[in-house]
Amino acid sequence: MRVSASTRATVQRLTLPLLIFVSALLAILGKADVLLFDHVRIVLADTLAPVLRVAGEPIATVSKAIGTIEDVATVYRQNQELKIENQRLLQWQDVARRLESENEELRNLVKFAPQGAVSSVAAQVIADSGGAFLRNVLINVGRNDGVSRGQPALTGDGLVGRVIELGDRSARVLLLTDINSHIPVVVEGTHERAMLNGDNSDQPRLVYLQPKTPVKPGDRIVTSGSGGVFPPDLPVGVVVSVNGMMRVEPYADLARLEMVRVVNYGLDGVLPDSAIPAPPMIGGGRARATPAR
Amino acid sequence: MPYSRNRDYFGFVARMVPGTTTMLFVLLSLLPFHVPSFGSIAPAFALMAVFHWSIYRPDLLPPTVVFVAGLLLDLLNGTPYVGLSALVFLLVRTGVLSQRQVFSHRPFSILWLGFFGTAVGAFALEWAFVSLMQVQALPPRPFILLTLITTACFPIGSYLLALAHRAMPALSA
Repeated sequence: MRVSASTRATVQRLTLPLLIFVSALLAILGKADVLLFDHVRIVLADTLAPVLRVAGEPIATVSKAIGTIEDVATVYRQNQELKIENQRLLQWQDVARRLESENEELRNLVKFAPQGAVSSVAAQVIADSGGAFLRNVLINVGRNDGVSRGQPALTGDGLVGRVIELGDRSARVLLLTDINSHIPVVVEGTHERAMLNGDNSDQPRLVYLQPKTPVKPGDRIVTSGSGGVFPPDLPVGVVVSVNGMMRVEPYADLARLEMVRVVNYGLDGVLPDSAIPAPPMIGGGRARATPAR
Repeated sequence: MPYSRNRDYFGFVARMVPGTTTMLFVLLSLLPFHVPSFGSIAPAFALMAVFHWSIYRPDLLPPTVVFVAGLLLDLLNGTPYVGLSALVFLLVRTGVLSQRQVFSHRPFSILWLGFFGTAVGAFALEWAFVSLMQVQALPPRPFILLTLITTACFPIGSYLLALAHRAMPALSA
């Protein structure tokens, strides 16, 4: 009996250091692709998606209530702003109509073949990484809804990010502000290409611009379509200059995402799911092909 | 040290309370709160649960449960560093356990201050780890905000945990 008691005491004493060691090891090695995690993660997200969705309802209600109070407080100023904006938009509508008909004529002229049909699915944000070093959200649509990896997620305002993890009824969207997000973009109206690299701040950095490129604050940034992950000309944001560094203020309000639209442009720039081995193949010979994050 | 003398004082269900609430707080850490002008930084409720039970019932929140809770959080929030939260939670448990005497039977303000210190340590560690792994210093602002928001929300989490704590005798009846 004494032996077993002392053994148990030893085991208990060793548990904590062992667990600390294991978690540190996991955290360090995790970056080097541990396949198991990806699958466990997707299964967990799929299982908990309905729970998170229901649990989020009361919080969404409270958030909306707070939003309403804010709105009531600012209704006069908002109304003034909206009137001005409406004026401006009406002018733009005029311009757009004119351009549309002109575009139509030109297309007929050159027998332009329009892009394939796009389809989209609306999704609710059910979980937010919330941490300080992660910028991603979990949404309540997945493979069952026709979503596939790499598809862009948008709000009415602009690009949000892209699908990086896919379950049957949930998917994870990497926001364009995440440190692992690198999006090929172009300065609208020019052919100046650049990369939009997230760094976990609210405004991703605009890098790899050609020297002496005349980019200035206020310029619009759209996707370039290089790499075949995003289609060209999705609105991303507007250039701002912060401490002499070119950054981009995203059009989409990434801090308050509630609904996003996942759009299928029929692009296949991201490796298909089949390029990732299935769970029983852990330890198998095939190396995992990771898309450039 | 309430109750901790007699480990078998509580029934099975009551003994599950610390573990269960910790797991629930992990889920709570993931829900998208949209606080105006704060964005979507979610308070780290799970840290509160680990802190609370490490002071009051460490026997019912063993390292294995803390480890699993951290792992669950990491798997659900999509971090590339699965295990980091588990590591932080285990260190928090160890640290808090060693300072347990400081917190027991003290006013709430002392507890709150202690939690602030814990949160600073925990998020500083996360910041240092991720910065090291990314080979660049991450902007510290989000971490500072997270520390402040989490500390500000501590009374809410603490209140809920105290409710669960008080319900334990009833649950073992």
